[in-house]
Amino acid sequence: MGIIEGLVSGFFQAISLEVFPFLLVGAVFGLLIGVIPGLSGHFAMAMVIPFLYGMEPGAGIAFLLGAHSTVAQGGGLTAILFSTPGTGQNAATLLDGPPMRDQGLAGLATGAALASCFLGAAFGAVALALLIPVLQQVVLFFGPPEIFVLAILALTFVAVLGKEDLTRSMIAGLSGLLLAMVGLDNVTNQERFTFGLFELRDGLSLVPVILGLFAVAEMFDLWVRRGSLPGGLHANRLSAKETQKQIFQGIGAAFKHWWLVLRCSAIGATMGLIPGLGSAPAAFVAYGHAKQSSKNKDTFGKGNIEGVIGSEAANDAVEGGALASTLAFGIPGSSSMGILLAGLFILGVETGPNIVTYNVDIVFLMLFTIIIGNLIGTVVGLFLVNPLSRATSLRASILVPILLVIVFTGAFAVNRSGFDIGVAIVFGVLGYLMKELGYSRAALLIGFVLGFAVDKNLYLALQLSGPYFLLDPIPLTLAIITLAFLGYNVWTIIRDKRRAKDNAR
Amino acid sequence: MLGLVKAATPSAPPRRESRRLSTRRYIAKVRRMTKSRVFALSVSALILLPIMFGGLAGCQPSEKNKNTEFDVASFYKGKKIKWIIPYSPGGGYDEYARLLSPYLRKYTGARFDILNLPGAGGMRGANELFASPSDGLTIGMINGSALVTNELVGVKGARYKIDEFEFLGRVVADTHVLIVSNQSGYKSFEQILNAEEEVKIGATGLGGSTYLDAVISKEAFALNLKIIHGFDSSSVIRQAMLRGNIVGSWGSWGSAKDAVDDGRHIVVLQSGTERNADLPDVPTVFEMIEISSNQERTLAIVTAWESLNAVGRPVAVAPGTPADKIQFLRAAFDKAMHDPELLKDLKQAGRAISYASGDEMSHIVESATTMPDDIEQLFVNAIKGEL
Repeated sequence: MGIIEGLVSGFFQAISLEVFPFLLVGAVFGLLIGVIPGLSGHFAMAMVIPFLYGMEPGAGIAFLLGAHSTVAQGGGLTAILFSTPGTGQNAATLLDGPPMRDQGLAGLATGAALASCFLGAAFGAVALALLIPVLQQVVLFFGPPEIFVLAILALTFVAVLGKEDLTRSMIAGLSGLLLAMVGLDNVTNQERFTFGLFELRDGLSLVPVILGLFAVAEMFDLWVRRGSLPGGLHANRLSAKETQKQIFQGIGAAFKHWWLVLRCSAIGATMGLIPGLGSAPAAFVAYGHAKQSSKNKDTFGKGNIEGVIGSEAANDAVEGGALASTLAFGIPGSSSMGILLAGLFILGVETGPNIVTYNVDIVFLMLFTIIIGNLIGTVVGLFLVNPLSRATSLRASILVPILLVIVFTGAFAVNRSGFDIGVAIVFGVLGYLMKELGYSRAALLIGFVLGFAVDKNLYLALQLSGPYFLLDPIPLTLAIITLAFLGYNVWTIIRDKRRAKDNAR
Repeated sequence: MLGLVKAATPSAPPRRESRRLSTRRYIAKVRRMTKSRVFALSVSALILLPIMFGGLAGCQPSEKNKNTEFDVASFYKGKKIKWIIPYSPGGGYDEYARLLSPYLRKYTGARFDILNLPGAGGMRGANELFASPSDGLTIGMINGSALVTNELVGVKGARYKIDEFEFLGRVVADTHVLIVSNQSGYKSFEQILNAEEEVKIGATGLGGSTYLDAVISKEAFALNLKIIHGFDSSSVIRQAMLRGNIVGSWGSWGSAKDAVDDGRHIVVLQSGTERNADLPDVPTVFEMIEISSNQERTLAIVTAWESLNAVGRPVAVAPGTPADKIQFLRAAFDKAMHDPELLKDLKQAGRAISYASGDEMSHIVESATTMPDDIEQLFVNAIKGEL
C-alpha cells in the first residue's frame, strides 16, 4: 500500500462510523483523567485495555490513542486553574500558568494551553509518521553515554529556570537529584536512604512527589492566606463572557506564536524519541528554551504566555515522539508505552520497523487519531474551562478540603499505598517552605526526574565504553553545548550584577 | 525562619471566642443529659448489641464446619474475592488475572476484585497475601521464582515463607531463552561456548531473573561471558542489542517472541527439560549438559535452576485457610484452567499457559527450596553478585 493510499485510508477510517464514536469517548475519557490530579496517561490506558478484547483494530486503536492523547491537555487545565498538575508532564506549566490566572488572565492561559497542546500533538503525530522509516538509524545514536550527557544538559536548564538566584536553583536541582537516589540501587542491590523502610525500597514515586510539591504546597499557601485562588487580595472574578473572550484570544495567541510552538514541539518530539527520559523533562527544556529565546525574559515565572505555550506544546509533542520510537522498534520507551504495546498486541496490530511496509494505513490511522483526538479534547476543554474557573473563586475553606481529598486520592491511587499520602504531605510542607524561601520547586522536580536517567546511564556508559565515553562524538558535542550554555548563563548573571552595582553607584 | 513557621500555622479565626464562653453551659447541658433515662437505655443498647451480634457471629463457624461440599459452594456464591496482583495494571500478571477472572467466577460463583499492589519487585504483594485473613476470600498471584530466590538470600523485607502458602495451582512457568542479536555474529550456543573473546550479555537488576540466568548459565557451562547488569528493563536491553553494545541477554520467551519472529534476534538456548513447541530447533540446557567438561556438576546446577524456574507464576491463598475452601478453590481453578474458551482467549492475547495443580505446586516449591548445600551456596552467591 502506497503512502498516499495509506494516508487516505487512515483518514477515512478515523472518521468512519465504526471508529469515530470510540475516538470521541476515548478522547473525553482521557481529558477527564487528565483533569483529575494524580491520574495519568498510564492509568487511562490501563483502564481502556480490558475493553479492547474483541474490538476491531481500528476502533481499538482509536479508543486507546484517543484516551492517551488528551490526558496532557486535561492536566494543563488543572495546572493553570488549580496550581495542581494533572500529570507529571504539566509541571512546567505551573511556572507561568497560575501567575496568569492570578492576574485575571485564566481564560487566556487555558485557551493558549489547549491550542498549543493541539498544535504540539499534531506536530508530534506528523513527526511520528515521517520518522518511523528512518527511526532505526536515529534512535540508535542514543545509547547510555548520549542519554547521560543529554540528561546533564537538561539539568543545566535548571540554571535558566532560576528566576534570580542561580545558586538557589542549583541547590534545588541537585537536591532533586539526591532525592532520586532513594531506594534500591539497580546495580549493587543496596538500599540507599531508605532508613530501613520497606515502602522506600522502590524509591519515591513521582506522582506523590509532584502532588505534594505543587498541589499540597499550594493548599498550605491558600490556607495561610485564607483567600481564594485568584490572588489573595484582589479576587479577580471573571465573568463567563470575559473568560470566553479570553479563551479565544488565547487560542489566537498560540497561533500567533507559531514559530515558538514549532520549536518547542520539535524539542518535545525529539526528547520523546529518547527512551527512559520521560515526558516531564521535555516540557521543562522547552520552557527553558522559550525563556532563553524570548524578548522579555524577566516576565517569565510571573505570567508570560510564552511559558505556557512552550511547555504545553512540548508535552504533547513528546507523546508523538515516544509513540514513533515505540512503534518503530516494538520496544516501549516508557510504562505507558508498554501498556500501549500490550493493547496493540491484543488488537492484533504488529509493530516493528515493518509497520510502514505492511501496515502504513494503521500508522496514518494513529496519526489522525491523535490529531482528531486532540481536537476533540480542545473543544471539550473549552467548555470545561468556565465551570472549572468558577470553582477557583470558591472560598479557601471549601476549596482546600475538596482539593486535598482529590489530591490524596490521586497520591494513594498510584501504588495503592497509604505511605504515598504521607510522602505527598511531607513534600507539601517542603514545597511550601521552598515557595516561601524562594527556591525553585521546578528545579527540584527536574532534578528528581532526571536523577534516575543520570545515575543508571552513567553506570552503563562506564561499563560499556569505559571512562573515555565522553570523547565519543555525540556525548562530546552535547557536553560542549552544556558547558557553553552554563557558561553563558553564569556570565550573564555576573554581567547583570555588575551593571546593577554600577547603576547603584 | 521561626516567623515563617508561625505564619504557616493557622491561627484560630475570631468566631470561636463566643463559643468558649458557653463551654460552661455546654458542660452543664451534658451533665443533665447523662442523668436522663433515655440516655442510659441507649448507652446500654449500644454496648449490648455488639456483644449479642458478636456472640451470634461466634456461633457461625461451628455451623460451617459441617464440611459438606455444598456448604462451601454456597459460602462462595455471590461473595467478593480479592485477587492480589503484585504488579501495576497493564503488565503481564495483571493481564493473566483479568483473562482468568471471568472463568474463575464461572466455577466458584464468586466475583473477583483485582487489587494491584506493586512494589519491591513483587514482594509487597506476597507480603500482603501472606498476611491476609485466612477466610478464603483473598487469593494472590505471586512471582514464585523471584520469591524463592529472595527467601534463599534472606532479603530484608520478605515477610512471607514461600512453602507456607497454600497453592491453588500454577498459571504459567515461562520458558527462559538466551537470545542474541542477529548482527552479533553468533548463531548458535556452541559458538558462544567456544568464543575466544568475552561475550557481553546484558541483564536488568542484580539478583533479578535475567541476571541470575546469565550468571548461572555462565557457571554451569564455563562460558566466557561479561555480564553487564543495571539496565532499566528488558526494553533498554533490546535497544542496547540493536546498537551492538551487547551481544544478547536472557529473558522469557513470551517477551522475546516478536523480535525473534522478525528475525532481529536469534534464540540459541532455552530452559526446560523438553523443547518448547514454538522452539523445536533450539537446544535445551539439559541437552547441552553432555558438552560440559564436568557433567555431574553441570547437571546439579541445571536441575536446581530448572526447579527454580518451575515455580513460575502460581496462585495461592494465605496459610491457615481451611482445607475445604482450599479444595473448592483448587477444583475451580483446575476447571477454569482447562476451559477451552479460556485457552482460546489466552491464545488470542499471545499468553502462554503451563498449568500445574495445587498439589503439584507444593512439590515444586519443595524441590525448589531444597537443594544440595553447595549448589544453594552457589545460587546465593550468584544472586548477591558475588560470583
